[in-house]
Amino acid sequence: MELLRNEFVLTVMAADRVGIVRDVSSALASVGGNITHLSQTVLRGYFTLIICVALPDGVSLEKLKSEIEARGAQGEFGVLVRPFADTSDRARSEIAQCRECRYVLTMRGKDQPGIIARTTAYLAANSINIVDFYSYVHEDILLMLAQVSVPPTVDLGRVQEGLQSVGSDFGLAVHFQHENVFRATSEVRSVQGLQEQ
Amino acid sequence: MIGQEETLQTIEMLQSEHLDVRAVNIGIDLFDCADRDIGRMCELVYAKVVRCASPLGPARRKIAQKYGIPIVNCRASVSPIADVAAGHDHSSLLRLAQTLDKAALDSGIDIIGGYSAMVQKGMSAGDRLLIESLPAVLSETQRLCASVNAASTKAGINVDALLLLGAVWKDTAQLTAESDGFGCCKLSVFANMPEDNPFMAGSMKGIGEPETVVNIGVSGPGVVKRAIERLLQCNSHIDLGGIAEEIKSTAFRVTRCGELIGREIADEIGAQFGIVDLSLAPTPAVGDSVGEIFEAMGVSAIGGPGTTAALSLLNDAVKKGGSFASSSVGGLSGAFIPVAEDCALAAAVGSGSLCIEKLEAMTSVCSVGLDMVALPGDTSAETLAALAMDELAIGVANHKTTSVRIIPVPGKRAGDRAVFGGLFGESPVMDIPNNTSTLFVRMGGRIPAPLTSLSN
Repeated sequence: MELLRNEFVLTVMAADRVGIVRDVSSALASVGGNITHLSQTVLRGYFTLIICVALPDGVSLEKLKSEIEARGAQGEFGVLVRPFADTSDRARSEIAQCRECRYVLTMRGKDQPGIIARTTAYLAANSINIVDFYSYVHEDILLMLAQVSVPPTVDLGRVQEGLQSVGSDFGLAVHFQHENVFRATSEVRSVQGLQEQ
Repeated sequence: MIGQEETLQTIEMLQSEHLDVRAVNIGIDLFDCADRDIGRMCELVYAKVVRCASPLGPARRKIAQKYGIPIVNCRASVSPIADVAAGHDHSSLLRLAQTLDKAALDSGIDIIGGYSAMVQKGMSAGDRLLIESLPAVLSETQRLCASVNAASTKAGINVDALLLLGAVWKDTAQLTAESDGFGCCKLSVFANMPEDNPFMAGSMKGIGEPETVVNIGVSGPGVVKRAIERLLQCNSHIDLGGIAEEIKSTAFRVTRCGELIGREIADEIGAQFGIVDLSLAPTPAVGDSVGEIFEAMGVSAIGGPGTTAALSLLNDAVKKGGSFASSSVGGLSGAFIPVAEDCALAAAVGSGSLCIEKLEAMTSVCSVGLDMVALPGDTSAETLAALAMDELAIGVANHKTTSVRIIPVPGKRAGDRAVFGGLFGESPVMDIPNNTSTLFVRMGGRIPAPLTSLSN
């Protein structure tokens, strides 16, 4: 793992309101930081943000954290900062890049504790990496959508059976399908274009 | 991440609304199998069909698993046999037909099409022999489907061929009388027959098509019906323009699934990808009916006033959505109204709301034509030919495909029930005026091609 000089990764969590990204980014700008990557989402009224930032020499992790916290009300922002390390594993990254390896897992049914734990344990045991994940419970019904990368060596039929078996233990409807069917039905570009990508 | 809402809509379409790919069809060129020696020719045909069609089953399973979309039928179609087997006699044609039937069975193919002749302007000796062989072939094979193109906008209507076919329908029904004339369910007679249609009975591998080609027929009556129902539940003030928009967007998504699967199967088996046929093809199952779409739109008596307009809206919206989705749309691509194969249409015949005249009017705004229509067993060959002439005239005059798949059910009268079984369904026998145009039909010849200018 190689530490990159003065690059940091940080997360901010807070109750959502207008202006949080402004507050965090202006804090970073005030110490001369340059944001290189950013992703934010709001879940049930809670805001989370993850940022990669490059800072001038001499700006410490503690300084960065306190600058951000100072932009919010007392105790408003939960901030976590770490030095950025390049953790990319070539094999995993190749699979993540490989469109052919991308599948979508959906589960739906009555909610109960342990569903996500069991499902993700099964995925991990089969070297299937979760690329994106979304889940919510509405009127006691759980809906789970996971975009995953399946290594080419994995037997698809066996994984489908395994996931069905996890789903049936919890009484859930389970579907595990290549992502192109979702892209083909929701994107405007040609099907041939999708397949050649 | 792909959009959550779009993903959920697609999941809904696939799982709750039972979207499937109705048919994957491999077209196989057979001209390189032509031989003067019928034994040698049958060997070559058998070997080529089995070699080309056998990989379809495994490819279908693999791709269906990858996308979680069922692919219901595996089909094959071959070059028109009247041309491939020109010069052979009746018994050789029958032997070749049985060879195709066995090749389909041995390669895991549900139905094979292409026992066909193109006679819109006239019949060669081979065409005539093939048409005359149809009763024997259709009654002695299980999986082989036949088709005849007897009319076109460029050539007019070949009435001589239709007179021959009138007798073919009668004889075929008689030879398969124990199954209500089922042999006729495997014969389609066309005007402007497409050469890339994956749906049976009228599928063949056209002469202008590649060596091997994969064509896909999507399904979707159930998907369209539920999309309309959902729209009306969410918005009771929706107008017909809104319904057309909903059908369009549903057709877009259905077509995209079809093309995706068709291209992958073609890659998998090393064939060229041909077309997606957008046709809404019903099955006798409840919830998989074009008639139920009319009901969802508010037409409570199918065949009553408003039915033709509803069908026209549906057919046009399907074409618009599908043609935006893919540049590889072909075949018949519209709404099918096969009476026996569609529970709601069959019920409308039973209740008296759908008569043959209204059905014929409906075919002027949709694909395909008078399809799977059970008629009284005593309908004369001339009446059958005249009915076919009417239907083909609609296609010829309107620059569109129309077809006729009619069954004069032996021993049954109007109102009796004809049962064909499986995907072919069942229906009450429809009433039709008999022997009112005998003199007209017997004049024979060819109805000239229509004028295509002065179109006001």
